[in-house]
Amino acid sequence: MFKNYLKVTWRNLLKNKGFTAINIAGLAVGMASAALILFWVQNEVSYDQFHEKKDRLYQMYNRSVFDGKLWCWGTTPKVMRSSLKQDYPQVEQVARTTNANFLFTIGDKHLTLAGNHTDPDFLTMFSFPLVKGNAKTALNDMKNIVLTEKTAKKLFGDQDPMGKTIKIDSTDYFTVTAVMKDLPNNTRFDFEYLMPWSYLEKTDNYVDKNWGNNSVQTWALLKPGVTEAAVNRQVKNITRSHSDIKDIDVFMHPATKWHLYSKFENGKIVGGKIEAVRLFSIIAGFILLIACINFMNLSTARSEKRAKEVGIRKVVGASKTSLISQFLGESIMISLIAGVLALVIVQVSLPGFNNLTDKKLFIPWESTTFWLLCLSFIIFTGVLSGSYPALYLSAFRPVKVLKGTFKAANAAISPRKVLVVTQFTFAIVLIISTIIVREQLEYAQNRDTGYKKNNLVYTFMSGNIGKNYALIRNELLTSGAATAVSKTSAPMTEGWSDTWGFSWEGKNENEKLDFNVYNTDGSFTKTMGLKVIEGRDIDADKYPSDSLAILLNEASVKVMGFKQPIGQIVKNGDTKLTVVGVVKDFILQSPYEPVRPMVIQGPKSWFNVIHYKLNEKNTTAANLKLAEAVFKKFNSEYPFDYHFVDDEYAKKFKDEQRTGTLASLFAGLTIFISCLGLFGLATYMAQNRIKEIGVRKVLGASVMGVTSMLSKDFLKLVGFAFLIATPLAWYFMHSWLQGYTYRVPISIWVFVSAALVTTIISIVTVSFQAVKAALTNPVKSLRSE
Amino acid sequence: MIKITNLEKFYRTEEVETIALNKLSMEVNTGEFVAIMGPSGCGKSTLLNILGMLDDPDAGSYVFNGTEIAHFNERKRADLRKHNIGFVFQSFNLIDELTVFENVELPLIYTGVSSADRVKRVEEVLDKMQIMHRRNHYPQQLSGGQQQRVAIARAVVNKPKLILADEPTGNLDSSNGNEVMELLTDLNEQGTTIIMVTHSEHDARYSHRIIRLLDGQTVMENIMV
Ligand SMILES: Nc1ncnc2c1ncn2[C@@H]1O[C@H](COP(=O)(O)OP(=O)(O)OP(=O)(O)O)[C@@H](O)[C@H]1O
Ligand SMILES: [Mg+2]
Repeated sequence: MFKNYLKVTWRNLLKNKGFTAINIAGLAVGMASAALILFWVQNEVSYDQFHEKKDRLYQMYNRSVFDGKLWCWGTTPKVMRSSLKQDYPQVEQVARTTNANFLFTIGDKHLTLAGNHTDPDFLTMFSFPLVKGNAKTALNDMKNIVLTEKTAKKLFGDQDPMGKTIKIDSTDYFTVTAVMKDLPNNTRFDFEYLMPWSYLEKTDNYVDKNWGNNSVQTWALLKPGVTEAAVNRQVKNITRSHSDIKDIDVFMHPATKWHLYSKFENGKIVGGKIEAVRLFSIIAGFILLIACINFMNLSTARSEKRAKEVGIRKVVGASKTSLISQFLGESIMISLIAGVLALVIVQVSLPGFNNLTDKKLFIPWESTTFWLLCLSFIIFTGVLSGSYPALYLSAFRPVKVLKGTFKAANAAISPRKVLVVTQFTFAIVLIISTIIVREQLEYAQNRDTGYKKNNLVYTFMSGNIGKNYALIRNELLTSGAATAVSKTSAPMTEGWSDTWGFSWEGKNENEKLDFNVYNTDGSFTKTMGLKVIEGRDIDADKYPSDSLAILLNEASVKVMGFKQPIGQIVKNGDTKLTVVGVVKDFILQSPYEPVRPMVIQGPKSWFNVIHYKLNEKNTTAANLKLAEAVFKKFNSEYPFDYHFVDDEYAKKFKDEQRTGTLASLFAGLTIFISCLGLFGLATYMAQNRIKEIGVRKVLGASVMGVTSMLSKDFLKLVGFAFLIATPLAWYFMHSWLQGYTYRVPISIWVFVSAALVTTIISIVTVSFQAVKAALTNPVKSLRSE
Repeated sequence: MIKITNLEKFYRTEEVETIALNKLSMEVNTGEFVAIMGPSGCGKSTLLNILGMLDDPDAGSYVFNGTEIAHFNERKRADLRKHNIGFVFQSFNLIDELTVFENVELPLIYTGVSSADRVKRVEEVLDKMQIMHRRNHYPQQLSGGQQQRVAIARAVVNKPKLILADEPTGNLDSSNGNEVMELLTDLNEQGTTIIMVTHSEHDARYSHRIIRLLDGQTVMENIMV
């Protein structure tokens, strides 16, 4: 019996090549898209869930009120660890992490690598298995280092790295004590090596015991059986009891929620990545559904052709169940072929998808679970797409079918219409969303940054750059590489520091007002191309007192309430700072948010970065060559590293760009699959009505008239889908835009253009068949009578 | 074998109600060859479909081999049908995607005959219908007469007790038609009951008895001699 079905299925597929191609192509594309998204979802959901002790692992968090709102953040004071270890018996282990960035030297090989400083507990708390070395002792000594396999390979090639010595910066020699398996693609940790915390304390030259300096991450492992709530009650006051900071609560964020639930609002978890996971899962489901709908529509549209077969089979003894299983078997077989094709598509498109989503996903060919899931996915798709046609076809009454008066098309028209409307509703929602995401992106990209990004470059002050800054600056200017140089605390595109510690005359002392803090040694406005609104730039050469001068941006002047800002005194703790100038607001952080109040401090502060404006008279390449020579001269051991501010600024749009690209990808795919289905439906409709068209033409209908008659029905459905899609899309995009303070208004034109795009695409799809049918010579179509 | 009493069948469309069978009663005995005749639209096909359990009556009784089946559900009727009844249609009704052999094999598959037995039995009937040399052809590759012989082969392969034929010669020329009638007569002589609808007095002469219908009622019965 099964063989017989298989035979019929196979011959049916071959006989209707067009139908088969459309069905399989649509399903394959749908399945591939859904599979890619599910890969992504799987990766997101499994983030840091491989740690054996994940149910006992927590990150320490702070909670406090700023600007009238409760904020939560995951950086803590460095001293928190020792207190947790000593005073809280429920806590088994504690480790801190913070970034490390060092120059590694082995022989004449120099490499700058990014790693983490951490405490020895780290290796036993988390499940990052060691290939070599002992997790309990590997970080016990200050000059021990743990390398990942990739790093070990980078440094030592195929040699055994264990016990080897690495020169760190120009000062210290480390011994490799362990090699760690490379980090999986689903962890929040990202390091090429681990170094002991004690070494940080050595390079910092002091042990930071300040409870007000929240700068590192602290991870805690609770003892078995201890509840989160119980420990939270106790750690709540840890900062309060150790310092005079009275307004910070400490709490623990569980590992099971790190990745998916990390967005806090007013002190409570309100979601996070889980929203994207949900949205993407829904999209995956819909794309698959749309592909399945094609299958359902085409199968039922073809039912007239299958009806006879069903009738005969019933007459010779087939039961309804056996017919249902026959048709389900057929759809599962098609789904199987499509599934294999989808796997190929996934494999081919995975690199591009990874690039797009910033992931390292791969197909686990060797995993049995994967193949089992594939199989269930295929069967699921087959059953989903085949069940309606199977029920529909198997319900045919042989009496009616075999009499020849059977007209299945009309009987099935309503569900089929509903399905087409569903498809297009989804496609139109995606098209509208794509347009709005792109508009928002463009809107933000076109926003005035307030400074001149072009030809502006920065270099981090590694090695001897800080020591030789005056010389470097001088040579950059005299060599003609740069026209202005400024030493700053952070890159122009990043806010590295903020404080609520400023006070001034007239400040409401009960209010915590947070300011971005930025430092410069001078030439700031010239280098960045900033507009000075009032007063002047900081210039310690000309005005020696300027070491304690500050600049304010317009937002600061506003929140401080200064009528005459120049000459005002702003206190930072006991230090008195004098306002010498006001600069026009410029975007330091998010281009989607209003510019935050900012205080730019003078030379008596800390610095990390040198910004320089390249000389416009030279080519960029020539400028960089000159600059490289200067940096090499004064910092010979380090590679010359530089960043263009406009490139870095462009990175601020990466997320939205990705959203935009993904949205257009999904929109394109759905419209493609939907149109494939529409095309198939139009083909069958044209075939079924070929006689009617012939008669109409004989009676005098024009090609145009016939074409529009045939297309009208489908366009009506698309129009109906548009009516449903518009409010849905408006609702989704309206809530999406709420996430941006600086946002584009949703204009009516978005909907008009979406309507136009969809209409044109569907007209092209349908009319191809309609015109073909209308052009057929009626003699030909009527002869077959 | 068959006894129907006061059988009624209506067709309702929006405006009109057609009475296709109007309190029809008749009886067919095992081994009989009965022809049903009457003008177009008098209810012949409707009757045959009900006798063949493809359709159910709206009222009346239908006793098949001593069992009242008027109220049987689809599954039960399908079960009874596949073991007892073979059909032959005017338009052959072969499955285009299956070969001659596979078309004839189909009823055996649904009654669960083993694969080896199936080959044997299909070859046997194909031989008998003199269509063996065409076993691997598709229906479109055959003439009308050949297709109808395949259809008859399919109807008899399961050795049904009853064959229902609805204008089996309607689409055939007279020589092909006569061949089909000879085949049916042979089957009848071997013990199969046959009920055949026909418009042709010539074909009807092959039967033992002619039942004439008008407006869903029996108007006359002729016994052939
Ligand atoms: N599905 C249906 N819906 C409505 N009326 C029907 C349907 N099937 C048959 N009829 C009507 O029932 C009556 C009997 O039809 P039936 O097909 O049994 O006639 P027939 O005797 O076989 O005619 P013919 O010799 O032309 O095949 C006719 O009046 C026909 O119009
Ligand atoms: Mg008839």
